[in-house]
Amino acid sequence: MTAVSAVAPRVTPLARERADRIFDLACLWIPAAALLLFFVYPIGMMGYRSLLLPDGSLGFGNFSQIIGSRSFLRALVNSLTMGLATTAVTVALGLLLAFALHRCRLWLRIVLLGAISLPVIAPSLVQGLGLIFLLGRNGLINKTFGLQVEIYGFWGLLIANSLYALPQAAMIIGAALRNADARLFEAAEVMGATGWRRFIDLTLPNIRFGLLSATFVVFTVTITDFGNAAVIGGDYTVLAIEIYNQVIGQMNLNLGAVVGMLLLLPTVLAFYFERLATQRQFGTQSEAAVPYRPGHDPWRDGIIGTLAWLVALAPVTVVGVVVYASFMRLWPYRLDFTLRHYDIKLAGGYDPLWISIGISAAAAGFGTIFLLFLGVALKRLGGPAARAIYFVSMLPAAVPGLVLGLAYVFAFNQPGTPLILLYGSAALLAMCNFYHYHTQGFATMTTGLRQIPPALEEAATCIGASAWAVLRDVYIPYTLPTLISVFFFLFMSSMVTLSAVIFLVTPNLMLAAVTVMRLDEGGYTAQAAAFSTAIMLVVTAALLLARGTLWLAQRRIRLSAEA
Amino acid sequence: MHLAIEQVAKSFGSVVALDNVSLGVDTGEFVCLLGPSGCGKTTLLRIIAGLLTMDSGRLTLAGRDLTQVPARLRGFGIVFQSYSLFPNMSVAANIGYGLKLRGTPTADIAKRVNDLLALIKLPQIADRYPWELSGGQQQRVALARAIAADPALLLLDEPLSALDAKVRAELREEIRDLQRRLGIPTVMVTHDQEEALTLADRIVCMSRGRIEQAGTPADLYARPTTRFVADFMGVSNLIEPSRLSALLPQLMQDYPGGDQLLCLRPEHLAVRPGTLGKVMSTTFLGNITRLKLDTPLGMLVAELPGQADFAPGDGIDIAPDPARGAWVAA
Repeated sequence: MTAVSAVAPRVTPLARERADRIFDLACLWIPAAALLLFFVYPIGMMGYRSLLLPDGSLGFGNFSQIIGSRSFLRALVNSLTMGLATTAVTVALGLLLAFALHRCRLWLRIVLLGAISLPVIAPSLVQGLGLIFLLGRNGLINKTFGLQVEIYGFWGLLIANSLYALPQAAMIIGAALRNADARLFEAAEVMGATGWRRFIDLTLPNIRFGLLSATFVVFTVTITDFGNAAVIGGDYTVLAIEIYNQVIGQMNLNLGAVVGMLLLLPTVLAFYFERLATQRQFGTQSEAAVPYRPGHDPWRDGIIGTLAWLVALAPVTVVGVVVYASFMRLWPYRLDFTLRHYDIKLAGGYDPLWISIGISAAAAGFGTIFLLFLGVALKRLGGPAARAIYFVSMLPAAVPGLVLGLAYVFAFNQPGTPLILLYGSAALLAMCNFYHYHTQGFATMTTGLRQIPPALEEAATCIGASAWAVLRDVYIPYTLPTLISVFFFLFMSSMVTLSAVIFLVTPNLMLAAVTVMRLDEGGYTAQAAAFSTAIMLVVTAALLLARGTLWLAQRRIRLSAEA
Repeated sequence: MHLAIEQVAKSFGSVVALDNVSLGVDTGEFVCLLGPSGCGKTTLLRIIAGLLTMDSGRLTLAGRDLTQVPARLRGFGIVFQSYSLFPNMSVAANIGYGLKLRGTPTADIAKRVNDLLALIKLPQIADRYPWELSGGQQQRVALARAIAADPALLLLDEPLSALDAKVRAELREEIRDLQRRLGIPTVMVTHDQEEALTLADRIVCMSRGRIEQAGTPADLYARPTTRFVADFMGVSNLIEPSRLSALLPQLMQDYPGGDQLLCLRPEHLAVRPGTLGKVMSTTFLGNITRLKLDTPLGMLVAELPGQADFAPGDGIDIAPDPARGAWVAA
């Protein structure tokens, strides 16, 4: 009888290595498989359906039929006109706002930033709703001054779309403006260039990719937006409405697929230029570049600042009037305070809001975990497969919500396949929302993960931590602020989006943003305003919660760094 | 005096960046502002350029008051550490930009640009863009751009710091030649004393917002007046008078009294075998050998030509040359 006293290792090194390998591969392939099923496959199905002819053969017959139809041509011309007009207005105003924010010294700069970002927290049809309260037939302006201003149609839609796209334009152009080397401007100044010459000769040429990117993004957002077109477009039919009518109205799925494919064209271009813009901002930057800080210039700050504040007044007014009108007894005749519009009995009352919150939380929770796994796996594993998955992960931004929602119909409304089980389920809505905003979340996540010092991970591994332990003890604590940002970004985006989910909701599974549209369609504008206000309240609460937790997480990191 | 700086002061909040600095630059003179980071040299250069306003003081160019003249009307040329060529313009457009702003006819600009490209020895690159050039080439173009419009004053803000050693040495000589040939009065900021020694007609050594000492490179090296200058301009042995009077009284002849130290450069310290102290370490540097010596005067550094016959532990005597010593304020 001999006692074996040697302590046997719990896990042999070989088994440990194999477990790590399996963990890494699972991290990569589970989110990657989901990406294939919920993004690549639907888009592929839509492409297939656009080519599928009534006799079962494949060809471009649907395309020629659609392009030859009168209603399509009218919608196409309207959409292009609207897209160009909105783009011109929005990029010009976006440049003004971005310039005010990044190249001027303004009082209450942060308030200006908040004011122009306001549409981000509201469902996209709130702009249209607000404009109707102000300028509609029974709007404040017409009633007060006895006018007959007609807001439905081109002009109303132009204003609503511009308001909706303005924050994105200002953000993209702002990012291009921010990356400037102060020395360039000082060199030009010493050489004799006035502020105006510096703007023309230096600022504009060097943000050209940013401007180009903003142009395409605004154009895309405009021609694919559904909410404002439905609320305020009137008889001015655009492509988004045409798709909706083809698919929901006439169950003409293949023709809907054709319009969806055509809508992908400009967005793919926009996507390409945006990538170019982020890579080529201000050419090569030398190490010694000094970030630009606006100096004191009362003329520039006075003029640009005043104009910027005037522009920022528009979203504040339009969103503000929706909130205000929701509390008024009978807009605009009896302006006494009441809460009765909040007593919503129609269309399931507040159920859709709770469903939206649940689905958004699921999309955000699932999405954040998937993105973390995907980001970690791509960081640890190299090779062509990882690079391909990285590329596909960046693609969803090129697909407008409307097209994605439509693609889901083709992919999941397939009787005879197991996928039909998902159709009409809350899970599918959550997945749709997650993949709609996949790219932005993925980009934030990879940026956050890149900031982890490689030595830290290597040190943990050398001490003997398993892949899972490294994830738990290194990645998650270090990227906590990133995880919080990604989670709340996904949650807030899911709360307000309309274009993707419009094809996937059912009477039993109604979402908040869609409810606003239904209430407005039914003539219950005050209730629509009340419901919009409720959504904005939830999103604002989420935003504050995000700020609070971010502050706490960052403080924890700061404290541990100081200790 | 071409450029006159009188009693210039500048503070950032509670930090005093410049404490009543006065300085002149003569026609054709190359002046180096030398000092560690935070000494105020860059602030002074930016005030001269007009990129920064001063709190008080006066700036005149050939008698004309510049205090209220904005940077773009001063007619100066400037080169930064980051090459700061306009990335959206070709080399030719970069160099000709100042002339274009002044409304010079296109043909004249083209001719001037060609002349300048020949001057910086890069005649073939007119149509290239900044990102296609090496760091050294970019900085040459930046120099051409700065002198294109015949500036009344050339300002160089650490123009060589971002370059690697070999390119830096080359460009240093070219800047020197160009400045001598064109006779443009020049103010350069640097923290590199070797750069200042080789380039400047006059070095202005700054510390904590004040001018410590100004003079020719030889002056500053051989006769520093403060401990800061002695330390900053190369290696120095600083010896307390109390120790000297006992051991080497002949060095006390010029002692001005007060709180002063004797500064002896390592190469002026003759070393021979003896008993005063001993060798701590020897470092062979090719043309010279550097010895660290432990003596009753303190730890000293000596530099002997070629390979020296000393090893650590050897006993030594030292024989400083009294004429080479300089008394500096402690």
